[in-house]
Amino acid sequence: MISGNLVLIAVLAALLVLGVPIAVALGLAGAAAVATGLDVTSVGMIATNAYASVAKYPLIAIPLFILTGMVFERSGVALRLITLARAIVGPRRGGLAVVAVLVCLLMGGMSGSGPADAAAVATVMVPSMLKAGYPKPFSAGVIAASASTAILIPPSIALILYSILVPGTDLRALFAGGLVPGVLAGAAVAIPAVLLSRRYDFGVLESGDNRPPFWNSLREAVPGLMAPVIILGGLRSGLFTPTEAAVVAVAYGLFVGCLLYRTMGLRDVYETMADAAETSAVIMFVIALSGLFAWAGSTLGAFDAAAEAILATTDQGWLVLLMVMAVLLVAGMVLDGVSIYLITIPLLMPIATAFDWNLTWFGVLMAMNIAIGQFTPPVAVNLIVTAQVSGVSIESTIPWVLWMVLSMALALGLVIFFPELALWLPEALGYRT
Amino acid sequence: MSEPEPPRTAATPADARADDRGERPLIPLGIERALGAIAMLLICVISFANVVVRYAIDVSFAFTEEWSVFLLMFMTFAGASLAFARDGHIRIRFFVDKLPPRLRAASEAVVVAASLTILALLVYYGGQLTWDQYVFEDTSPGLGYPRWIYSIWMPILALVAIGRVIGWTVRRVRRRP
Repeated sequence: MISGNLVLIAVLAALLVLGVPIAVALGLAGAAAVATGLDVTSVGMIATNAYASVAKYPLIAIPLFILTGMVFERSGVALRLITLARAIVGPRRGGLAVVAVLVCLLMGGMSGSGPADAAAVATVMVPSMLKAGYPKPFSAGVIAASASTAILIPPSIALILYSILVPGTDLRALFAGGLVPGVLAGAAVAIPAVLLSRRYDFGVLESGDNRPPFWNSLREAVPGLMAPVIILGGLRSGLFTPTEAAVVAVAYGLFVGCLLYRTMGLRDVYETMADAAETSAVIMFVIALSGLFAWAGSTLGAFDAAAEAILATTDQGWLVLLMVMAVLLVAGMVLDGVSIYLITIPLLMPIATAFDWNLTWFGVLMAMNIAIGQFTPPVAVNLIVTAQVSGVSIESTIPWVLWMVLSMALALGLVIFFPELALWLPEALGYRT
Repeated sequence: MSEPEPPRTAATPADARADDRGERPLIPLGIERALGAIAMLLICVISFANVVVRYAIDVSFAFTEEWSVFLLMFMTFAGASLAFARDGHIRIRFFVDKLPPRLRAASEAVVVAASLTILALLVYYGGQLTWDQYVFEDTSPGLGYPRWIYSIWMPILALVAIGRVIGWTVRRVRRRP
């Protein structure tokens, strides 16, 4: 039995380091562990397992929210949100940096993951920030960091998956729970960004002449701003289930893009559908093949054994929590959010139950950790995207990004020590947390 | 794929992206892309119709769940095949990028071997699953359709993905000076 557990972890680690696709590595680790720990015939489980792992109705929300994000990115909403944010913030040192943060937070309310938001915002904002005197590496860092909040701000792909993987959690409570920490994380990017801008005089070239008129910008941006209202309001009022909210948001986004803004034609709709299908498939393929990994781990007792080993070291809940957070942070630097949830949740749940941690709060903490990992060099999905869009190296962003990593880690600390920050809103809305 | 080709390069956008890093795949990637897009569209249409109907006449279509879930599986495997052709799967490149060229080639060989193994397992055991369902005349719980008409697509698309992995490998080897 022990050999099976060892094989599971060793094969996974080796394949991941060698650059094997995460989905493939998970599947093979599961198959190898089952073959050594149980018997070779059990490897046949892989087909049933892969099929059953994706053929789950609640998972439909994931491709739909990915599509929602892409539709809004391409409908020209980002541009209008930037104009509105510029009208609100006005020209000042660090002004455009705050605009970038605000826009990323709003875009996070329409899409479920960071890298796509990061690309959309960086494409538009980095050139105009350069003109106003912000160096490109700084802009790339700020946008990467603020786009990472998309995983916290509802709708969030990672939280959808968490609610499916952890029985007894309410997705609506998780969505509500992520909102305040998400805004907090946004503030954790904006504050150092403004301080750094003042210290180094970024944005002095921002002129007051082209400040967009507020009411006009607001009117233009309202269709975009309605998207989070429809999604969150629909969920809150009980009008829609998460899947329904997602499809209604897609329909609304297509309405805005094709008819209201007239920025999308049939060809664009097709390309958006195809791109969303491909992005979703890559995520869903990891989910499919993680099925056997999770099954092998729980059948062979690998997760329980590992959880027991961790629990044996100390009975101090907060110490274990800090250890877990540290591990997740490192994992977030090399893995994407969905994979982290799939790999670590079977291991973390026994620990969370042992210490009686609130599972909604814990899911939000995990998401916040992963958000930090998404822009922590050297491996940071969001930073890779924004650095590429701005044409700078990831190394050049490090002096700026580290400040935001530090301050978002402080924000994480706040949510750890004051769970109310995550739990107040869902409780106020009457969800079971 | 029936729409008229715009007057420009012969490559579809899907192929164009594979193209800028090497030669184009023999069989256009636009096929899987179109399959994925259609599945996505159908998922949207079914889910949206379900919302409308549920509010209009307060019943939900019985077939929505079964079809949606099948389309999700179909989209997953069609898109996964596309991602194999383009090296688009999520993987950790950080460590292998630090390797000298020879070792990196070795790691790529491992990636190919691992991908082929897992896909072969899916083809073989997926085929077996489908065959069993066919022989035992399993029917779906929702609509009572034979289950094999759904499950057969997993081994078929995994087989397509094997072709994509091989195609990627061939293009990769040819490109090496």
